[in-house]
Amino acid sequence: MNIKMESRNFTIPEKEYMFPGHVACPGCGGALAMRLVLKALGEKTIVVIPACCWTIIDGPFPMHSLHVPVYHTAFETAAVAASGIKAALEIQGKKDITVLAWAGDGGTLDIGIQSLSGVAERNDDIIYACYDNEAYMNTGIQRSSATPKGAWTTTTPVGNPKGEPKKNISEIMISHRIPYVATATLAYPDDLINKFRKAQQIKGTKFIHIFAPCPTGWKMAPELMITICRLAVLTNIFPLYECENGVKYTINIVPEKPIPVREYLKLQGRFSHLQEKDIEQIQKTVDFEFNLLLKKAQLIV
Amino acid sequence: MKWLEKYKVDLPNLNKESDYPEWAISMTSTLLNRTGSWRTFRPVYENKTPPCSYRCPVHEKIPIYCDYLKRGMIKEAYFTIIENNPFPAITGRVCYHPCELECNRKDYDETLSIHNIERYIGDWGLKQVSVKELRKQSAEKSKGSQQKLKIAIIGSGPAGMTAAFYLACEGHTVTVYERQAKLGGLLRYGIPAYRLPKKILDNEINRLKLLGVNFQTGVSLGKDITLSMLKEKFDYVIIAYGAHKNRALGVPGDDAIGVLSGLEFLAQVNSGRKPKLGKRVLIIGGGNTAIDAARVALRLKRKPVILYRRSRNEMPANPQEVSDCEKEGIKIEFLVAPVKVVTNKKGKVVGLEVVKMKLGKPDASGRRAPVPIPNSNYIINCDTIITAIGEQVDLSIIPDELEKTSWGIAAGEDGQTNLDRVYAIGDCVSGPKTVTEAIAMGRKAAMNIMNKNDVQVFSPYIVKISDLNLSYFSHQPQTKAKELSLSARKGSFKEIHLGFSENESIKEAERCFSCGVCNKCDNCYVFCPDLAVIRDNYEYEIDYDFCKGCGVCAYECPRKAITMIEDSQIIEDNSKE
Repeated sequence: MNIKMESRNFTIPEKEYMFPGHVACPGCGGALAMRLVLKALGEKTIVVIPACCWTIIDGPFPMHSLHVPVYHTAFETAAVAASGIKAALEIQGKKDITVLAWAGDGGTLDIGIQSLSGVAERNDDIIYACYDNEAYMNTGIQRSSATPKGAWTTTTPVGNPKGEPKKNISEIMISHRIPYVATATLAYPDDLINKFRKAQQIKGTKFIHIFAPCPTGWKMAPELMITICRLAVLTNIFPLYECENGVKYTINIVPEKPIPVREYLKLQGRFSHLQEKDIEQIQKTVDFEFNLLLKKAQLIV
Repeated sequence: MKWLEKYKVDLPNLNKESDYPEWAISMTSTLLNRTGSWRTFRPVYENKTPPCSYRCPVHEKIPIYCDYLKRGMIKEAYFTIIENNPFPAITGRVCYHPCELECNRKDYDETLSIHNIERYIGDWGLKQVSVKELRKQSAEKSKGSQQKLKIAIIGSGPAGMTAAFYLACEGHTVTVYERQAKLGGLLRYGIPAYRLPKKILDNEINRLKLLGVNFQTGVSLGKDITLSMLKEKFDYVIIAYGAHKNRALGVPGDDAIGVLSGLEFLAQVNSGRKPKLGKRVLIIGGGNTAIDAARVALRLKRKPVILYRRSRNEMPANPQEVSDCEKEGIKIEFLVAPVKVVTNKKGKVVGLEVVKMKLGKPDASGRRAPVPIPNSNYIINCDTIITAIGEQVDLSIIPDELEKTSWGIAAGEDGQTNLDRVYAIGDCVSGPKTVTEAIAMGRKAAMNIMNKNDVQVFSPYIVKISDLNLSYFSHQPQTKAKELSLSARKGSFKEIHLGFSENESIKEAERCFSCGVCNKCDNCYVFCPDLAVIRDNYEYEIDYDFCKGCGVCAYECPRKAITMIEDSQIIEDNSKE
C-alpha cells in the first residue's frame, strides 16, 4: 500500500549508524544524541571520544556499537586528537571525511577546555559536539561546571547544593569567533540534524552544544527524557540558537509564552529540595539570560 | 526485520593470549548484549478506543478514515466507513453526531466536525464507487463461499435498508416489502428535504437496487402478507416497520378538524401533497418531529409557534436543530401545556386553551416534571394544531406469535425474536430512536444471519484527553461549513447545510487527534535511544532483544497507542500457553 508520509512529525534520515546493545542506561539522552547525529553526518565520519559516558556506552572490549571508526582518547584531549586526525586525513588527501569530537560536559567545560580553546583559536576543521548531562555521570554523578545552580549531585549534597551558576560554554566558544556555534536538543530532532548538516558544510571549528538529559543522575523517570528536553527549551532554560562567526545570532525557537521554570524543575529529583525563593531566583536568572540573548539576536552586524 | 535476524554475531575466539590484538581494538558489535534483559516493563503497540467511535452507535472508525482522507486515499476512507455504516451520505446529514459531543478536541479548542467529513466521503463514494467494487470489497472480507440465503425484510427505512445492503453485498437474495408507495421509510417521509435532499436518498436506494435487492411497494404486513407466509417462502424474515403511530394529545377536542399529527403532516409534505393549513399554526411538543414540523410549516409560508410544557433544558430535540429553528424566526413558548382544543360550531379549531407550568421534581426520565400553575389558563387563537408529542410503535400490527414488550417487539441485541428465523430491528423494537441506531441494529441482524462477527470497538479502554501528549498538536479552529442564507431559506426546501469542499474536508481531517489509534507519526521510532523500534515498510515493531523498557516511546506517543506492560506478567502468560 502506498502510504504518504504526511502524518510523520519529523523527517529524520532512515539509515542507522549505530547498533543496539550499547550499555547506556534506559532513557539515555546521550545515546539518542549520538544516534541522531550520525544519521545527520553519515558514514564518512570518524568519532573521537575522550573519557565520558560514551566511553562506556560504546561497549567494553571487544565490542563496539557504532558503524563508524571511533578513537578513544584521554579526558582532556578530545579536540586536539580530532584535529590531529583531521590533519592526517588531509595529508593523505582524504578531504571528504568529517571528524567529530564527542565529549561530555566534564571533558568540555572542565577538563578539555584548554585543548578545545587551542583548536578553536587555530580554527582547525572539526566538529566538536558536547553532549551535556550537567555532571560527571558515569563516575557517580559528581558536579561539573555545567551543573546548574541549586542542583543536587553526590559532591553537592542536599544540605549544600551547588551554589555556582552553570558555565556558559556556548558563549565562550562564540568569543573565539569560530565560524559556527549552535545549541540543540533531542526534543527537536529535525533542528538538531539540520545544525549538524550545516556544520558539516562549513570549514573551520564548529561547536554544537547538545542538551542531553541523564534520567539516572537527574533522579527522574526515564520516560520523561524527551519531555524534559522540550521543557528546557520552552522555559528558556536551554534556548535553541546559532551564532555564525561569533557575531550573527539566530534564535531558532522563541516560545510565545514561556512555561514557568517550576514545571521543568519539579520533574527532577535533583531539584526537589529547592524552596519557593530559590525557584523564583532561578526564574529571574533565566529571564535575564534570555532577554540578553534576544538583544544579541537583534544586533545588526 | 529484527536486529538479530538481520545480523549474525559471534563472540570472537579469545582463549589464548595470542588471540588478543596488539592494542585494544574492537572485534565485534554490541549486538552481543541482549539489553532486553534489563527491562521490567515492556512497550506494546495497542490501539485503544477513541471516545467518538465508542459513542457512535455504529462504532465508525473515525480516526482511521480521517487519516486516509488526509493522505489522499479517499476510496480507502469510504470503505472504512462502509464497513460499519452503508449510508454515510445520509448519516453525514441527518445523524445528530453524538461523536462530536465526545471528541477530545472539544477540551483543547473546538470539536472536530466529524459529520461534515463523513458527509463529504459519503457523497464521494455515492458518485465514484461502483456496485462491482462494493461486491468485490465484501467478497475479499468474507473468505470462503457461503450458502446463499433468501431473506425478506419488512420496511424500507434505515434499519431495513442497512440489513438489505449487507446481505445483498454478499450475494444473498433480498426482498424488501414497503407499505408506502415510495421507498425509504422515515428517511423519505419523516425527514424534510432541507435536511436530507430526496436525490441523495434516491441514489442510495438506486444502488441497493443495482446490488440486486428486490423492492415491493404498497405491501402491508397483516393485510397483503403475513409472517407465516414469509417464513414459508424465505430462509429469514426481518421485521423493521418502524414507529409511526402518533401519540394523541389526550385533551378534549383533540380529534377536531384542524388537528394534525406531526408525522402525518411531514409525510404529506414529503410526498408532495399540500396539507390544509390555517394561517396560525401551533405545534405541540419538544422533540425533533415538532421542530421539523414547525420548520416545514414556515417553509409553507405560515407563522408557526411551538409550545413545550417543560423548559429548554429538558427538550429532547437536538440543540443544534433547536437553535437553527429559532434562527429562522420560529418562536418557542416554554412551560405551557394544552388543556382543551377550542372549536367553532362546525367542529373546526379556532384556538387552544393552555395552562402555564412550572418545573417540579425529577420524573422517571430524570428530567424535572412540569406541574400546572392553577388558574393560569388562557386561550391562544389558532387555525391548525400539529401534535408532535411522541411516536409509538403500532402494536396492533405485530403478529400474535411474536413476543412483545410494552412499547414494541421483543428482540435481543442481535435482533433475534422468540421465533426461529425471525428478526426484528429498528424503531419497532426500540421505540423511536435515531437513524444511526437503526443502522446499527440493521447491521447486527445482517451479520448474525450471515454468522459473522459484528464490528467491534478497538479495545475496552477509552482514551481521555489526559492520556494524550498534547505537545504535538497546535490550536486550530474548526472548519465551518457553508450554510444557506436565512433569506434563501424562505419558502424553499433547498438543503440548508452545504457541507465541505475537498480542501475543507482534508483540512478538518488533519485536526483529528487520532486518539488511541496509531497513525504512523514516527515519534516512537525517532525517540528510541536503544534502536529497538524497527520501522519496516511503515509498520513498527519492537525488538525485545534490546528494548530496555525506558518508556520514552509510550510517553511521547501523542495518542496513547503504546502501553507499558509489566514484563513478568507476560513471561507468566507465555508459560501458561
